[in-house]
Amino acid sequence: MSNSQAGTKSIGNRLWKIITSPSRMMLTVGAVVILVSVIRQFTGIDDITSPGATGATIRFTIPILMAGLGGLWAERSGVINIGLEGMMILGTWFGAWFGFLYGPWVGILAGAIGGAIAGLLHAVLTVRVGIDQAVSGLAINLLGAGTARFLSGVFFIGKGGDVNISPQVNSTGSFTVPGLSPFLTTIAHKHILVISDIAGVFAGFVTKINWASLVMFLALPLTAWILWKTRFGLRMRFCGENPVAAESLGVNVYRTRFIALAVSGGLAGLGGAYISIVSTGNYLEGQTAGRGYIGLAAVIFGNWTPAGVLGGSVLFGLTDALRVRQSTSVHALLLIVISLAAAYGLTKLRKKDWKGFIINMAIAGLVLAYYMVNKVVPDEFVTFFPNLTTILVLAFLSQRLRPPAMAGAPYRKGEEG
Amino acid sequence: MSLAIELKGIEKNYPGVVANHDVDITIEKGNIHAIIGENGAGKSTLMKILYGMVKPDAGTISIFESPVTIKSPQDAIGLGIGMVHQHFMLADNATVLENIVLGSEPMKAKVVVDYAKARENLQNIIKTYGLDINPDDLVADLGVGMRQRVEIAKVLFRGAKILILDEPTAVLVPQEVDELFKNLKVLTANGLTIIFISHKLDEVMAIANSISVMRRGTTVAELVPSKTNKKELAEYMIGGELPSPRPATTKPRDEKVLVVENASINDRTGREVLHSVNLEIHAGEILGLAGVEGNGQDELIEMIMGLVKPDSGSVTTVGLDTRESSLREIRDHGVGYIPQDRQRDGLLMAAPLWENRILGHQETKPMSNGLWIDKGAAKKDSQRIIEEFDVRTPSNSVSANALSGGNQQKFIVGREMAGDPKMLIAAQPTRGVDVGAQAIIWDHLIEARLNGTGVLLVSADLDELFKLSDRIAVIFRGTIVDYLDPRTTTPEKLGLAMTGEKIA
Repeated sequence: MSNSQAGTKSIGNRLWKIITSPSRMMLTVGAVVILVSVIRQFTGIDDITSPGATGATIRFTIPILMAGLGGLWAERSGVINIGLEGMMILGTWFGAWFGFLYGPWVGILAGAIGGAIAGLLHAVLTVRVGIDQAVSGLAINLLGAGTARFLSGVFFIGKGGDVNISPQVNSTGSFTVPGLSPFLTTIAHKHILVISDIAGVFAGFVTKINWASLVMFLALPLTAWILWKTRFGLRMRFCGENPVAAESLGVNVYRTRFIALAVSGGLAGLGGAYISIVSTGNYLEGQTAGRGYIGLAAVIFGNWTPAGVLGGSVLFGLTDALRVRQSTSVHALLLIVISLAAAYGLTKLRKKDWKGFIINMAIAGLVLAYYMVNKVVPDEFVTFFPNLTTILVLAFLSQRLRPPAMAGAPYRKGEEG
Repeated sequence: MSLAIELKGIEKNYPGVVANHDVDITIEKGNIHAIIGENGAGKSTLMKILYGMVKPDAGTISIFESPVTIKSPQDAIGLGIGMVHQHFMLADNATVLENIVLGSEPMKAKVVVDYAKARENLQNIIKTYGLDINPDDLVADLGVGMRQRVEIAKVLFRGAKILILDEPTAVLVPQEVDELFKNLKVLTANGLTIIFISHKLDEVMAIANSISVMRRGTTVAELVPSKTNKKELAEYMIGGELPSPRPATTKPRDEKVLVVENASINDRTGREVLHSVNLEIHAGEILGLAGVEGNGQDELIEMIMGLVKPDSGSVTTVGLDTRESSLREIRDHGVGYIPQDRQRDGLLMAAPLWENRILGHQETKPMSNGLWIDKGAAKKDSQRIIEEFDVRTPSNSVSANALSGGNQQKFIVGREMAGDPKMLIAAQPTRGVDVGAQAIIWDHLIEARLNGTGVLLVSADLDELFKLSDRIAVIFRGTIVDYLDPRTTTPEKLGLAMTGEKIA
């Protein structure tokens, strides 16, 4: 036990140093960019760093980010919100229906309200009534799915929809930064090593960006600002860390958690509305596809910080985007795994750690063999990749992760400890 | 002199219980006023009333000579009353500054906390009162004494003129107590008034200007330390003579219940936490283990119980080699264990007493016939413990968390002594319990000794060690540095041994 623990600790420590040091972070990002660039050049699969791939990543990241921020609000206030998925589902339905009736922006607002109502329900059940947070969250997930199907049957049939699909909603529209976008896109298409790759990625940020993406992304800096600069944020964090202490200092823990959960549901609802209005243009049953849970994973991955949640969301969004665009991209990215394993193996060699060297080289060799034999990576694996990453992150960084101390613990006013 | 607090005829009833009645207390400004009483005497309820957490049913409260009603902690804070809780009310994952400003944040632009101003205010408090804390430290990294200073700074930050300290020394080591007392003197010198709740008579005599004694929910005496003594205080607290432990009348037997030979243990990081420990306990002997906490006491207990096997040397507990025996076998062979953290290690807080009686005996008669739990026997024996140990509880089927700390501890002691164990490990058996419970527990430890049980008494209470022990072993940095005879040694000698000084 002590050996394996020391092993994970060293990898964990290394990752942690990268995460916490800006200069190491820059170096790492730089190295990855160069590596990806070389691989793109070598394989000729240009989609890896194309503006389109970036755009797709943004579209897949936003809903996960919204769910993640929703999870962050809930957990920072001390309540675990398993019900994010159900709240997202309500967001997709309300977004689509009100979007169909009154236009996409009203739809987005309605989606947020739909999620917020479910968030308040979660608050009533867990904070006021004192039901177990996981049970309540699960109930809301079932309720969200059931309600959406029931309402679809009532409202959509005869309006161009059905029990599992809504009529089409108008788009929120998008914008492209004039000058910059064509300039970067041109460079990207020249396929110059590194330069084109960076240009390609940046072009994705200024080309056909949906206004809804931009507006929703603002929830991230706003959340960070509220949590660390405002009085409400300070009090909310203490509700998650030590509600008894907060109450003793005059903080209304119940009210704070009610507000936090309403916002949590609202954010999840926004994420849902984004999916139905922006991603597909209509409500489809089951279209959230577990993104509420992925959002929760992003919270854990991100160590309960807004920036971390963004990191997790991008990681999960990226894998989603790769899956829908070209599975050959994923295949090409196997080369990253191979290079990293080989490079890590070589560092072992320098320390005369023969066992480590052989294991890493064997991993590199096996993946390389797989790469040579197959032309594509099965979709199943690509879909599973975010989950695998979460597990690995938890395994390596779990000692460093710091969830709010009292998240998930029942709290009754007037009881101590 | 002007009055800081005047309480008259305070009364509070809970369903079926009178928690407070006819409580009268007057406290002069700038004084340290101690409130002492057994656990369950109503001190906590009274303080909750004063701090606005509980509403009194009758009585009047005057603060700085004007009558007030205190409906919430905010009201109390507004009146200049601050509470330093016994269990610290701090969030680990936040800085000292954040913990201190919470609830009374200086603001700019309505919603944003003005941390710069908060920091300045805090620095002023730190300087004025000589509190040694750093605003930017993460609370998780702080020791107990430091956390307590953060708590004190927290109430001062709110402009408190009256500080309530609820058993502030319970969690501190002696040096930290001295530090605290120094801080308190600086506070009163600056005109603050302090209410000091305790049941440690020595400390009360040392620090207080005036003392109120509470018993069964009411104030029974108001005294001045210079005109009273510990014996009188104790009599007021328990309403009679202080029961004192019987002197030893029998000699330890030859039979050994514990033999530790050159045992060493390394922790997971490879650091040696126990270093060739040699220890013997005879049947019918109480061996006291003295030492500053964290010098290997916990590891020694775990090793004796067989939870941790020695890396070198040997441990023979009640005749069993711990390397070849499981904890279950060792326990069943006749080892009782009174853990120092009774709520974490000694009880299932939400389970009824009779279920708690079965804990640790769930596989042996009479609590079990091997397959089924014998509920009847458990209830019957719980009742025996309740009577023999004077556990104050309505019945044996209330849950453990309904009992006060002292009564929980008496119940645990009763359980661990059931079936006359060959050896008993008592870790801080009377920590945090009132004088009455302490006397009962002491009596039973002595009785166990007379009946031939070998007792390892690990205690930070020197009075306890001296009064009960036949011999005292001193542990320092993971090894036994000295054996003392309590009849011939002095507390000073012991103190030197505990800090690693060799005694001439």
